[in-house]
Amino acid sequence: MAKLLIIDDDAHLRESLAEVLDLDGFECHQAGDAKEGIAAAQKLAPEVVIMDIQLPDSSGFQICQELRKRSKTMILIMMTGRFLSSEEKTQGFELGADEYITKPFDLAELSVRIKQLLSRNAPRG
Amino acid sequence: MATRRRGKLAYKIIFWFLLISLIPMGVVGYYLINVSQQSLHNETLTMQGSLAVGFADTVDKYVATFRNVMTETASLDDFTSMNPAKQQQYLNRILQIHLAVLELSVLNDKGVETLRVGRFLGPNPELRDFRREDLFNAAVGPKGQYVGRLERFQGLYPTVTVSVPILDARVQPARVAGALAARISLNPLSTMLSMEFPSTGSSQAAVVAPDGFLIAHSDPKEIYRPDARLSDDVLRVVTTQASERGSGDMALADGRRMLASFAQSRDLGWIVYVQQPVETANHSADQMRAQIVKFFLIVAIFMVLFSLAMANHITQPIRLLKEAADRLGRGQFEDMPEVVTTNDEIGDLAQTFLGMSDSLKEKTGELIHAKQELEKFTKFLEKRVDARTRELRSAQDELIKKERLAAIGQMASVVGHEIRNPLAVINNSIYFIKTKLSTGVEPDPKISKHIKIIESEIQQANGIINEILTYSRQRDLKPERVSLNAWLEELLSVYPFPPHIVLEKHFDLVSVNVEIDTTEVQQAIRNLIGNGIEVMPPPKGGKVTIRTAIPEPGWVRIDIGDAGGGIPPDVLDKIFAPFFTTKARGTGLGLAVVRKVVDRHKGRVEVESKMGVGTTFMLYLPTVV
Repeated sequence: MAKLLIIDDDAHLRESLAEVLDLDGFECHQAGDAKEGIAAAQKLAPEVVIMDIQLPDSSGFQICQELRKRSKTMILIMMTGRFLSSEEKTQGFELGADEYITKPFDLAELSVRIKQLLSRNAPRG
Repeated sequence: MATRRRGKLAYKIIFWFLLISLIPMGVVGYYLINVSQQSLHNETLTMQGSLAVGFADTVDKYVATFRNVMTETASLDDFTSMNPAKQQQYLNRILQIHLAVLELSVLNDKGVETLRVGRFLGPNPELRDFRREDLFNAAVGPKGQYVGRLERFQGLYPTVTVSVPILDARVQPARVAGALAARISLNPLSTMLSMEFPSTGSSQAAVVAPDGFLIAHSDPKEIYRPDARLSDDVLRVVTTQASERGSGDMALADGRRMLASFAQSRDLGWIVYVQQPVETANHSADQMRAQIVKFFLIVAIFMVLFSLAMANHITQPIRLLKEAADRLGRGQFEDMPEVVTTNDEIGDLAQTFLGMSDSLKEKTGELIHAKQELEKFTKFLEKRVDARTRELRSAQDELIKKERLAAIGQMASVVGHEIRNPLAVINNSIYFIKTKLSTGVEPDPKISKHIKIIESEIQQANGIINEILTYSRQRDLKPERVSLNAWLEELLSVYPFPPHIVLEKHFDLVSVNVEIDTTEVQQAIRNLIGNGIEVMPPPKGGKVTIRTAIPEPGWVRIDIGDAGGGIPPDVLDKIFAPFFTTKARGTGLGLAVVRKVVDRHKGRVEVESKMGVGTTFMLYLPTVV
């Protein structure tokens, strides 16, 4: 069972997402801000981290950069509520982001995408 | 300022010419008159003196003539014989010949009268005894003659008595036989004077004896006056003179000034006196003065005329110059008076003036030209300023609009973002519910239907948020060059037209290239097609017409037309405003996005709509090679 960490300051969003993904067989953990999120990631070493770009104490891209330093294989999915310019997206990819999802997102699609990304990592891991 | 009266140059020239020409002439004339007057005066005096001397000689000769006749007679043989009859014969002859002889007497050697004949004597006149008289003694004495006894004949006119000795030449030495005496009228002397020196006015000539007896006078009437005498002041002068002759100015007792001359006759000692008023002598000088004054006046008139001509000659070019200068002063450069350029200083002045005038004309022309240029430039500037002001105003309006839109965009962005979170939560939750329900027993179909409604509404809300965010997004244009017809063809081929819509394409044969941000222009065209489809709902549906055309070189027009109900004219001008909508559901941003996109591409959008027929949107875009 793949471990999955959700970092978002919106508790409802965290919980709703976690419970949906729980149904799909993921072990979901949650964090409310960047500090908590990084700490959880260190402790749990999740295969997938879904984080909001805008967090109260930091930018999602900074967490992304931080986590990517520690793990090359960790799947980092960025959540956003607004349009991102292609520059922002490119910058994000360079910092290590694997995927972007725009709220509200199609959960079935997301689930499939995560599984696909995990399956790609599996042979190497 | 009071205008100063300017002296006329002509008057000045006349004044100086007269001064220069007349003053020397006046001085010379005055000097000449004075000199000539003096010399004429002296000349007159000299002539008058000579006249007096001549008269004196004539007087001497007059008496001498009779004395000679008597001497000749007394020496005749027949006369010395003292025969009275013979003597009477001779004496009568003398009386006949010489009218001035009034009376003749023969005296014997004792001095007693022996024969007496006369013009006015009766027969046998009284014979007188002269033995003690000078008349006899002087004649027979060594002097040999006698002239004297000046008296008035019968109280009428002066006579003189002359006596000579009768010498008997038959014995040697000659013996004095007696004396011959004659009383002679002196009237002929007066006649002579009056003829030679006519007595007019104060002019007179006279012969007086040293004792003052008036012998002859140039005025014959004077001599017949019983008390005929010269005035005492004249007599005093002439009888007291030491010299025999003289001339000079003399003031008479009555104040008149005379030129006076006198001469004493050599033989008789009588004095000839001639006088004429000083004015007579001055007469010539006066005439000369009059002549000179006349000449002076003629010269003056001539000089005035000459000066006028001269002044006119000199001032004519100056007047012309002045006139020309006046015209110049008024800024009239045309029809300048002909300025004469002579080869003197005035000519130089005229030349300089012409140069100055040309230069002034040129400069004025330049000034006028500069002024016109300046006016033109000012107008141009004003236009530029106006245009720029309009540009600025529209830019300002644009800016305000932009800022307003930016604020709207920012707000929309924030709102959109903030709504997306709860939307995402709802979405997640409904997904969870749906998943949960699908795993258990068959759910109530109404619950499934409502889950679908919620999902649909979430999509709808998300669509609205996307529209708002798309409109308000500040993104850079990413132009790329595309062939318009081909690009449109591709766009239309993937557009999901519903089955009740017919697509009609009319592409211009000439395919042009445009440089566009394909994402944005695609969004705009999709919005327009979407609108068209919306106004032609099923089941009727309708036709969407896409057309390209080249309205003018450098531009391409894309028409997107529908056959819907049309847009009411009163809202036609508001349809591009953001958030304006007539739909029940709609953000009112579709056409605003279209407008924003064409604006960003330096193009424009127009709309034609006919109620009940349809609406056509026309996008104008610049083309590139």
